[in-house]
Amino acid sequence: MHLVLANYFPVLVFLAIALGIGGAMVGGSMLVARQMPYAEKVSAYECGFEAFGDARRRFDVRFYLVAILFIIFDLEVAFLFPWAISLGRIGLFGFFSMLAFLGVLTVGFIYEWCKGALEWE
Amino acid sequence: MLFATAVFAPLLGALLAGLPGRVLGDRAAQLIAICFMLLASVCGVAAWVQHIYLGVPNGVVPVADWITAGDFRLQWALQYDTLSTTMVAMVTCVATLIHIYSVGYMAHERFTTSRFFGYLSLFSFSMLMLVTANNLVQLFFGWEGVGLCSYLLIGYWYDRPSACAAAIKAMIVNRVGDLSFALGIAAVFLRFGVVDFSTIFAAVPAHVDDMYHLLGTDFRAYEVIGVLLFIGAMGKSAQIFLHTWLPDAMEGPTPVSALIHAATMVTAGVFLMARMSPLMEYAPGALGMVTFIGATTCLFAATIGCVQNDIKRVIAYSTCSQLGYMFLAAGVGAYQASVFHLITHAFFKALLFLCAGSVIHAMSDEQDMRKMGGIWRRVPVTYAAMWMGSLALGGVFPFAGYFSKDAILNAAFESGSGIGLYGFACGSAAAFLTAFYSGRLLFMTFHGAPRADHHTMEHVHESPLTMTGPLMALSVGAVLAGWWFYPQFIGSLQQAYWQGALFNGANNHVLQRLEDVPAVIALLPSVLGLAGFAIAVWFYIINTALPVRLAERFRPVYLFLLNKWYFDELYDRIFVKPAWFLARLLWHTGDETLIDGVPNGLAELTVDGSRQAVRIQTGSIAIYAFTMLIGLVGLVSIFLFNR
Amino acid sequence: MMNWAAASPEIFLAVAGMAILLFGVLLKKENAALCTMLVLGAFAATFVMVMQTVPQTAYSSLFVTDAFASYAKLLILAGGALTMVLSLDYNERQGIGRFEFPVLMLFSTVGMMTMASAANLMTLYMGLELMSLSIYVLAAFAREELRSAEAGLKYFVLSALASGLLLYGISLTYGFAGTMDFAKLPDAVTGVDGVSTGLMVGIAFVIAGLAFKLSAVPFHMWTPDVYEGAPTPVTAFMSTAPKVAPFVVLLRVLIGPFGHVSVQWQPIIEVVSIASMLLGSFAAIGQTNIKRLMAYSSIGHMGYALVGLAPGTESGVRGVLIYLLTYVAMSAGAFACVIAMRRQGKSVERISDLAGLAKTDLPLASLLTLFMFSMAGVPPFAGFFGKLYVFLAAVQSGLWLLAIVGILTSVVACYYYIRIIKVMFFDAPAPAFDTRSASVSFVAIASGMFTLLFVLALGPFTGAAEAAARVLFG
Repeated sequence: MHLVLANYFPVLVFLAIALGIGGAMVGGSMLVARQMPYAEKVSAYECGFEAFGDARRRFDVRFYLVAILFIIFDLEVAFLFPWAISLGRIGLFGFFSMLAFLGVLTVGFIYEWCKGALEWE
Repeated sequence: MLFATAVFAPLLGALLAGLPGRVLGDRAAQLIAICFMLLASVCGVAAWVQHIYLGVPNGVVPVADWITAGDFRLQWALQYDTLSTTMVAMVTCVATLIHIYSVGYMAHERFTTSRFFGYLSLFSFSMLMLVTANNLVQLFFGWEGVGLCSYLLIGYWYDRPSACAAAIKAMIVNRVGDLSFALGIAAVFLRFGVVDFSTIFAAVPAHVDDMYHLLGTDFRAYEVIGVLLFIGAMGKSAQIFLHTWLPDAMEGPTPVSALIHAATMVTAGVFLMARMSPLMEYAPGALGMVTFIGATTCLFAATIGCVQNDIKRVIAYSTCSQLGYMFLAAGVGAYQASVFHLITHAFFKALLFLCAGSVIHAMSDEQDMRKMGGIWRRVPVTYAAMWMGSLALGGVFPFAGYFSKDAILNAAFESGSGIGLYGFACGSAAAFLTAFYSGRLLFMTFHGAPRADHHTMEHVHESPLTMTGPLMALSVGAVLAGWWFYPQFIGSLQQAYWQGALFNGANNHVLQRLEDVPAVIALLPSVLGLAGFAIAVWFYIINTALPVRLAERFRPVYLFLLNKWYFDELYDRIFVKPAWFLARLLWHTGDETLIDGVPNGLAELTVDGSRQAVRIQTGSIAIYAFTMLIGLVGLVSIFLFNR
Repeated sequence: MMNWAAASPEIFLAVAGMAILLFGVLLKKENAALCTMLVLGAFAATFVMVMQTVPQTAYSSLFVTDAFASYAKLLILAGGALTMVLSLDYNERQGIGRFEFPVLMLFSTVGMMTMASAANLMTLYMGLELMSLSIYVLAAFAREELRSAEAGLKYFVLSALASGLLLYGISLTYGFAGTMDFAKLPDAVTGVDGVSTGLMVGIAFVIAGLAFKLSAVPFHMWTPDVYEGAPTPVTAFMSTAPKVAPFVVLLRVLIGPFGHVSVQWQPIIEVVSIASMLLGSFAAIGQTNIKRLMAYSSIGHMGYALVGLAPGTESGVRGVLIYLLTYVAMSAGAFACVIAMRRQGKSVERISDLAGLAKTDLPLASLLTLFMFSMAGVPPFAGFFGKLYVFLAAVQSGLWLLAIVGILTSVVACYYYIRIIKVMFFDAPAPAFDTRSASVSFVAIASGMFTLLFVLALGPFTGAAEAAARVLFG
């Protein structure tokens, strides 16, 4: 059990360093920099214009749709990398496993295409 | 086969006539019921003839398995011996006649009478089950069956409150006896481990000295069993203390009174004593009680019968009294005489009831004798039949009653014990009173000046043939049954006749000594009977003012008798009132307040709990998620605390 | 060489699902009914395949097929198929008759079957998610309707939370035990110094995650809202198969890997069970909507079923399996009756709409009466035997409290079941319902026959449940 936990020690170190650097940056500026807030300075700033409209406005659902579809294929690629690297060692079984996975994704792809999810209008 | 047909044909008749009766209509239902009863009576008589004259031996007719529980096995089976075949023949014949009579009697009913015939047939079946049972449990089945049918038939006119009350009273009073009977059966079962007669009787001598130890006293097991069974018999046979239901049972239609409350069901108690004679013979104490109760009832009921005004009630008390005779005979060990009287009584008492029904019919449903009189010319057949029945009842030679009653009184005298002599005294006095009230009934009903109103008198008519036919048939029985059966039942042929169906103990020689009684004793019943009739003539024909004066003179005695020794009032005070009080208490306090209160309170709590439980269901996801997390924390806490 | 055939029913069903999906989308016209039929056909074929599977462990012991799994799978398939038949007519009339509906149900079923066969916490999680994801969409299937969308979203958000809990529990277990394999967990669980605290917390989280799917108190909050909002066939579906699958997983996990620490988890199950029984019976009393009422009823039923799990004995597991069997039949039937509640083309859901049903439609009223009696646990209907077996198991193990609470809450529950009967038989009749389609009648009658005649086939079913239960105890 301790062995298992010991394996995670680098992660802990990594987390500690990240926290340390992030904390140092924010904290340092708060401590060192001079703070002189006034109305203009703390107001919303958007490329030199006044903010128009509410930030909580509805987006077209198609943005989400595209984003979700993107993630699927993104993940597909993320799976493909390790597969490609270890292809030599996992043999035919590994090869066809990935093909099956791709097949399933293809079915989904055909479905969304036919449903018109890929068309903006 | 013949025997089983006799028993089960009425059941089939009851089912076919009773259940689809509404569809079949009156005529068809009556026809079915009567046909099956006829079949039953033919088979019943044939079975009896086979047994007595053709020498078919005693036996058991198995029908079906009934109960198998552990070592305890019970069969539906029919006992085939002289006692049961005699009873079957009598019951089926009388029942058939009464079925036929009912067609005429019930002709003016507003509603369909198929229910009536269904009940009658069902009753006949139950009665046959009772008399043919080969074990106590089956006997109890028939016992309860006849009780049920009696209840249904007494309350047949369910739109009359008095009929319903009488039905309930009969049921409840019988409960007392039945409880005791059931206890008796249980005691038998505990003692012998079986309930079928042959095994019990075979084992009887082995347990003679068994004792029950209770409250520091030892009781002989047979005495206890005998007393328990006798109390059961008292309930069914309307003996004193448990007799109150029988007069009230006259609320039922008259054929019912004739069949159930005169000829058959009420004699079940006597039958039980006869059936259990092998056991009873070993319980002298219980037999003493039987004698005492029987003799007392005999006299007690006769005294009441002398002053009643309702024609059916007179006969009802007479029945009560005659049943007392039968128990008296059983008590002194003369079971043969007891059954003999049972059979003759069945004929003449059914006859009397049917005659009474015919009179009531003629008088436009009037039952009060004070409003009758002077109708004998208009109803000659009924009148003649009534005379024959009354003479038989009064024990006048050569009518049926003479032989049996004479035998009973002789037996009581010959038993030699004190209690036997008490029985003899009571029986003799009752014989006198019997003749008196029989005469009174005859004269008040048929003779003298008409006391009914003009309108009723115009309608007085002889009953149709369906009613007079059975009257004539029964009259033959009332006249001849005694003379014909005397030698076989109790006379020289009795050994050959009974073939061991009835048992007399080794020291019981009552029957053999019947003929040895002094002439004075032997003649006494006849003399008393004639005297009773004579006085009735004096009172109700010659000097009609005398009874009224006597009643005035001895008013307390008259009222005491008229009110039936105040038994009903007494029971009302002792049992009914306290029961009502207790029931009210339990109802209002126990049931309404406590028992209802708890569930009502619980129900309110439940509804309240429901309201609270739903309150957190607001629809807000945040709260839902929060609940989940709190729940999780709770579970983890339980987990950690529990380690 | 890996044994491929082990998961062949699941693989077949999944491939069939994809084929039907393609078929449906390529056909380009209204074909929901056709696709439903195809899916039903696939179910039937899978049913046969499951019957013929042999007990084995496969895929590096990620997956196991045994009598227990087969029992659960057959039950899941039957429940899925029954509710699918219900959807045929309802979706058509409600204007949501799209072919994705049966396909989603199919995928959900694949997920549940995977759960039933899970021999590893990972497989379990994968199956669970496949099941849940499909149900999220199904719950919101009538997307034009506000309540349905709300139901879908609510279920999604809360279920995501529950999945998080489950996953956290799994990771804790893995962290402290070093394995997720059911076969290896028992050895890892019992260390030198007993069970570690972390592992126990992990188990608690796993129980919580699964209890959410079972809608057991205190993870039940979604149930009434989602049951009410979702299209009725979906509700019917949710109350049948997706209750079975998490339950059998819970059985397998708690009896298998964590079986010998039953002393530790027993109190949790007891608390959850008692709370569910109490809430299920009490909260339903005031309900006016029959779907909401059924939601509380199902909470209560899960509580009763958990009674059988608490002792952790073979007879208890057998009781649970029988309970689930009867529950699926009663639920499918009851929901068939709810779906038949339709007046002038519109679905009605209030209990008062049932008023006087006995006079306008006696067969339907009789069937619903049958299901209500059965749910109330009146003998000789199926529901009685389910309760009988679980209470029996509890009593045999001395868990009197559970049995007593169970019986008392059954009495309370009787009230609202019998109230429906009273409304149907004794209230002044409301206008008659529309004529119902043959498919709905079929489900109602089939479930009704099962509920009514279960007593006659008690032997075979009990035998199957017993064989299944025996597997868990080696």
